[in-house]
Amino acid sequence: MLCKIADLSIQVPATGDMLSRCKEYLTNEQVSADIIIRADLYRPHKYPTFDEKGVAYMESSIQFSRQLLNFNGLYLHSSAIVYEGRAYLFSGPSGMGKSTHTRLWKQLFGADAVVINDDKPALRYIDGVWYAYGTPWCGKDGINVNTKAPLGGICFLKRGEINSIRRLDTFEATTSILSQTIRRFKDKTTLDLLLQHLECLTSKIPVYELYNIPVPEAALLSYETMRSGAEEAGL
Amino acid sequence: MKINKNFALRKVANTWVVLPLAEATVNLNGMLKLNESGVLLWNALEKGSDRQELVSILTSEYEVSEEQARADVDEFLFKLIKVGCIDEQ
Repeated sequence: MLCKIADLSIQVPATGDMLSRCKEYLTNEQVSADIIIRADLYRPHKYPTFDEKGVAYMESSIQFSRQLLNFNGLYLHSSAIVYEGRAYLFSGPSGMGKSTHTRLWKQLFGADAVVINDDKPALRYIDGVWYAYGTPWCGKDGINVNTKAPLGGICFLKRGEINSIRRLDTFEATTSILSQTIRRFKDKTTLDLLLQHLECLTSKIPVYELYNIPVPEAALLSYETMRSGAEEAGL
Repeated sequence: MKINKNFALRKVANTWVVLPLAEATVNLNGMLKLNESGVLLWNALEKGSDRQELVSILTSEYEVSEEQARADVDEFLFKLIKVGCIDEQ
């Protein structure tokens, strides 16, 4: 089936539950695919505990994220929320409270704040602007919206005793992102392509680290800091 | 002694770091940063230098005694072995 994801035409095999995951992304456009995901290359033996749905989800996600690198893009393991026209991404290892944090934003800002992807939003650099996109690869909860918004900031979540936020320097930002995106490279050229995108991303987008307890004050702190950071950066 | 093909030395924001290409669970907090002499030793190792040649590189490039250079090379190699980016033969 042909889908429009991250402003690219993607051929996604309708195996597992990918048809229902992709239904908001299906397109009737008569165009050739930018990215072809191939079910014959899926490796079920890599996931002995997964059913067909799990294999189709993981393997299509991996193929998509590898090929996305060829289109000025990458994914970030994060929960992405759009508010006031900007996308803010909250990232970190599983269990760090990414979804919890964007839920706190929704508590504060109500329906004006929309989670566009709760697991693997795509990022692309188009005409001088970094955009965040909803994708069908959105984790267990299935929270995703087929939309895009200019990226306003990225924040890595850490558990803390008090709420405190700080801006990461370029090195910290790059290595933090590296730990939450593609982690297997078929060769050094692929790694270099990702590093190139990250150099551009970290030069334009403010990246933060938030130590937090999951309370609304933490969300207010990240919102106020990231909004003023985005304004200062002209985003 | 050889550098494992699954690691690459790259410059990230003016810092030289050893990045893994294939590890499924990478602890990037424990990521290996190399200083100028570390980069020199890494490049020599990649070209197939042995321990003695690494020591000679340090004594010829820097004002260090043979004994100090030997200690520095061993410390460097130990760090690399610890993160698994050297295949010992």
